[in-house]
Amino acid sequence: MFEEKLKEFEPIFYPKSIAVVGVSATSIKAGSVWVNDLRSAGFPGPIYPVGSSGGHIGDLEIFPNLRLIPGDIDYVIVAVPRQSALELLDDCAAKDVKAVHFFTAGFSEMDRQQGRKLEEQMLEKARRGNVRIIGPNCIGVYCPEHKIPFLAGILGENGSVGFISQSGGIATKLVTIGIARHLNYSKGVSFGNGIDLDASDFLQYLAADPKTKVIGAYLEGTRNGARLLNTIREVARIKPLVVWKGGRTEVGAQAAMSHTGSLASSAAIWSAMLRQAGAMEAHSLEELTDTLLVFQQPGYGQGIRAAIIGGLADGGGGNSVAAGDACTEHGLKVLPLSSETKQKLADLLGEVGGIFCNPVDVSQAQFRGIPTLLQAIALIVGDTASDVVLIQEDVEILLPVYSRKGLEEINEFIIELGRRQNKPIVIVLPPGSVEAERLEIEQRLLAASVPVFYSMERATKAVCRLNEYSCRQEAK
Amino acid sequence: MVESQNLLTEVESKELLKKAGISVVETKLARSKKDAIAISKEMGFPVVLKISSSDVVHKSDSGGVKLGLTNATQVGKAYSQIVSSVKQAYPEARIDGVSVQKMAPPGVEVIVGMSKDAQFGPVLMFGLGGILVEVLKDVSFRIVPLTERDAREMIKEIKGYPVLQGYRGQKPASIQALEQLIVKVSQFVEKNPQIKELDLNPIFAYPDKAVAVDARIILE
Repeated sequence: MFEEKLKEFEPIFYPKSIAVVGVSATSIKAGSVWVNDLRSAGFPGPIYPVGSSGGHIGDLEIFPNLRLIPGDIDYVIVAVPRQSALELLDDCAAKDVKAVHFFTAGFSEMDRQQGRKLEEQMLEKARRGNVRIIGPNCIGVYCPEHKIPFLAGILGENGSVGFISQSGGIATKLVTIGIARHLNYSKGVSFGNGIDLDASDFLQYLAADPKTKVIGAYLEGTRNGARLLNTIREVARIKPLVVWKGGRTEVGAQAAMSHTGSLASSAAIWSAMLRQAGAMEAHSLEELTDTLLVFQQPGYGQGIRAAIIGGLADGGGGNSVAAGDACTEHGLKVLPLSSETKQKLADLLGEVGGIFCNPVDVSQAQFRGIPTLLQAIALIVGDTASDVVLIQEDVEILLPVYSRKGLEEINEFIIELGRRQNKPIVIVLPPGSVEAERLEIEQRLLAASVPVFYSMERATKAVCRLNEYSCRQEAK
Repeated sequence: MVESQNLLTEVESKELLKKAGISVVETKLARSKKDAIAISKEMGFPVVLKISSSDVVHKSDSGGVKLGLTNATQVGKAYSQIVSSVKQAYPEARIDGVSVQKMAPPGVEVIVGMSKDAQFGPVLMFGLGGILVEVLKDVSFRIVPLTERDAREMIKEIKGYPVLQGYRGQKPASIQALEQLIVKVSQFVEKNPQIKELDLNPIFAYPDKAVAVDARIILE
């Protein structure tokens, strides 16, 4: 479905050439920043700066007008005042430009009447000239594979997560959090006012895009609710879709004469819409990125039976109890391990009452050495009575017991184990007094596609989404 | 709260709903005390009398409702009381008369309603009736049109769902009947875009059926 979108959006996410309008040879303008960002990112095609000043930016000639550019142009980034928008669209049509991204703000989001009118005129011109518009009031396209960075040169690794955002700030934050947590994007877009291409168009494209495996969205509102509902329904059938709706507290304060009218707040309607359409709802940037992180890993897994290892040395008792609570609260089942596994653990670690139930306490391994610990972890992960494994590693406790090198060995083993087992392994690394070492382990695990969280609470919340998704898929 | 030309009376609202295949408690308009007594006898006691005026939005607040009337004398007295107390509360209100309906046997009270969202158009709401909907806001929504599965999910979504499954010896309500009613309401509002808001409140949910006891339709 939506395969036709791939060709249509090719010049947007994989343009052969880009022109940037609003570049100056003498002063620093947004357009100049864009040109420099694209060059430092290593954009693989020609970049054409455009600005009335003429002259040069670096060794690139600045063209006084778009029409004077000698080559073909796929994609234009516009950073000039809104007064020039209409004329610029004429230039784009004349040059057979495929898509224009208006960074320019000051349209309907600022000035309801005038701005809306100008947007309508722009749209009309674009339709006639066969040019697609992204924005206005947005930071446009992000595509690490094609070396298109976000503003200020932000460019992370190429990955499998697609995103759309109505807000440029949130879009940027998604990418920078991604860089910090190895949440790697295939592509993303901030589409602002979305007067032409809007959430539905980009969602359809991402659904069809073979490079995108899971989709995240930040939305504030829609000008075409019925279309959005239908699109989300179709897209969610194809790929996991997580939506964070911003502006939930804005109450539809209408003078209603029915109970229904007075209770139907915009937030409640959006939640209902997402559920009806089969998307997963996130309520914060944290929840959105946490969820995307678990869906990014190779296998989604299925089922809600969690095995918990509260700690790999002392201090695991309380953590285990808290972890069990967090799992149960968020809908995971913490069932006893199989009696076979329990017996093997007892043989391995010595008989100490009740610890091999679930959550499992493997702290005894600290007296028997790392190979024993690794065997214990393998037994628990391999147990058939669980669908997902959560392991808490409190680095400040583990470091003196196993040493830095030992911890490295343990985590490499877990990474390898995760690759062999068709079962998600999620690691919890609570912050503490050895932040530098903790961060090093976190980065290593994340880089190997093992999801890492600060707390059991956040880990379980995210892991539950895997099951939520597989249940919805089954229900369809 | 005297208002709105656009408010249909209970009798008018129920007529439209009935035509759409939604079960309602049969209700007739009595234009006089004599009328009210005759209709009551025809329907059989006990009956309920309610003010019928498109100017009165909240009927019970103004003394416009009398429940459980078991004979002709009570009906006659209730008629006079209703008319005089509504006239006192809203001197401007145009009164058509009083509606008469048979007192429905008790069931689990639920509400189904529709309002229009600026972005998504008509949406349906489901919840348990009475205090639960007003105070706890234990309701769920879906966007029109609804499938049977949407209806089923919105019923199961409310926290009070166990009440529908039978609570302390109460018989369980038919979820299927509620589902069908919700889907019919969805079809009804889809076919009638001139309806702005709608409340079926309460609906009595029984083990074998669901019947709207009161209904209110507001036009654009």
